[in-house]
Amino acid sequence: MIVLDKVDKVFPGTTIPAVNQVSFQVDEGNICVFVGPSGCGKTTILRMINRLVEPSGGDIYIKGKKVSDKGVNPDELRREIGYVIQQIGLMPHRTVEQNVSLVPYLLKWPEDKIKPRVKYLLEMVGLDPEEVSRKYPYQLSGGMMQRVGVARALAADPPIMLMDEPFGAVDPIVRGRLQEEFLRLQKEMKKTICFVTHDINEAIKMGDHIVIMNEGKLVQHGTPMEILSEPADGFVKDLVGTDREIKLLELTKSKEIVKRTDDIPSEVWEKDSFILAIDPVQRALETMMKKDTNIVGVRDETETIGTISWNDIKKLINKISGDQ
Amino acid sequence: MDRFISTLVDRSPPHALEHLQLVLIPVVIAFVIAFTVAVLLTRQRFVKYTDRVMTIFNMGQTIPPLAVIAVFFPFLGLGREPALFALTIYALLPIARNTLTGLKCVPGEVKEAARGMGMSEWEMLFRVEIPLSMPVVMAGVKISVVLTSGTAALGALVGGGGMGAVIFAGIDFFRPELIVAGTLIIAAIAIILDRILTVIDNLLTPPHMKT
Repeated sequence: MIVLDKVDKVFPGTTIPAVNQVSFQVDEGNICVFVGPSGCGKTTILRMINRLVEPSGGDIYIKGKKVSDKGVNPDELRREIGYVIQQIGLMPHRTVEQNVSLVPYLLKWPEDKIKPRVKYLLEMVGLDPEEVSRKYPYQLSGGMMQRVGVARALAADPPIMLMDEPFGAVDPIVRGRLQEEFLRLQKEMKKTICFVTHDINEAIKMGDHIVIMNEGKLVQHGTPMEILSEPADGFVKDLVGTDREIKLLELTKSKEIVKRTDDIPSEVWEKDSFILAIDPVQRALETMMKKDTNIVGVRDETETIGTISWNDIKKLINKISGDQ
Repeated sequence: MDRFISTLVDRSPPHALEHLQLVLIPVVIAFVIAFTVAVLLTRQRFVKYTDRVMTIFNMGQTIPPLAVIAVFFPFLGLGREPALFALTIYALLPIARNTLTGLKCVPGEVKEAARGMGMSEWEMLFRVEIPLSMPVVMAGVKISVVLTSGTAALGALVGGGGMGAVIFAGIDFFRPELIVAGTLIIAAIAIILDRILTVIDNLLTPPHMKT
């Protein structure tokens, strides 16, 4: 869907490239998260995809079409790509409704199509259209502004979204909620999303695919599982943190390590220590501690499908940290 | 007292009207020039000329209007036109300076988002930059109006008419009531124009964005 081929960017007046020979691909319907320290080039990559920054070398393709082709008008390209930034950048002199309808307006949608669309979008991001439509941005809380920012980016139903630390400006509790709501939305929308963050935990939570950047270079890319279990080098290992085993326990679904059996030990029944197959393995660990046991039963929606024991979890952890 | 009132009521109105023209015509022309130039100076292609152009506007403000008239006397002669010309030059700086400041103060993230949404340069200018800088621009226009109201009194010295004619008559013939009446009316013109501009400003700007 989005392909970068040996993309370089050297900003005028500098010699060290901000982005250095970066190639990767984002598949349709996936969330690809770019993560790395400040100045690693992740935001520059995002801004090159919608041509807010022009690459110094290499090519970028969207759906097989080169974005830098002469026939592509950058303004029209951007109208087809949702864009959310950390500072949101709502227009302070326009109401919420006018802000959200910006792109449909630029695309010259008929008025009677824009109004219901704005209402639908505001509801979708969890805002009450009656309440907020006529308000100005300064009357909203930080979390509400972020929601309006997302609604605005989704307004013309673009197949691609670029999100630069979209939940960076709100407190951790609101951030968690926005992340979860966004993931739920994404399940239905199936947009192709490029997501920038400096927070590895957010990357693991949001990403189908993670691209790790450092000093303009792509250090490693892969699924969250691959990044956590096989960090490419010391930098990635530092980035994912010393608690990567714990993170993997959060990331791994119980059904992935469950020992399928009909023979459920009586201890499990006695202590009623069950978890769901879709729960993370971490839940198994929590349940074991809470119920003072070393084995839990795993339930599907309807029936008990097997068990996870303390030893199974240890094996998983050893597998991850086998190289240490 | 009687003479003062008769001055105010009988002699002043035609001069006041002239004076109003000496204020409004230069300010409107100065607005068109200064606003356009300032907008151009914030466009990427012209940014490099900013200092040079602003120096010219600064000079327009520093050189006394009478000197301007003296310099252009060979071309424009005396009367109303050279007065309007000198006052226009005098009115340029506050509008240009404030427009420039206003446009530069538009928050970067709003411009970034607007560009990222796919606004063209023109759409950005008319839908984001100008509306957001309007309060600062209008403040500049108000300064120009008040400055020009006072300075326009000098127009009378070159035959441009206006309330200056009443004041200078008062000075020449030792008639203080003429001086007081002229001054009061000039002050009234400045205040009324300022109020009118405030109303316009309020119509252009949502309530929470007033300066």
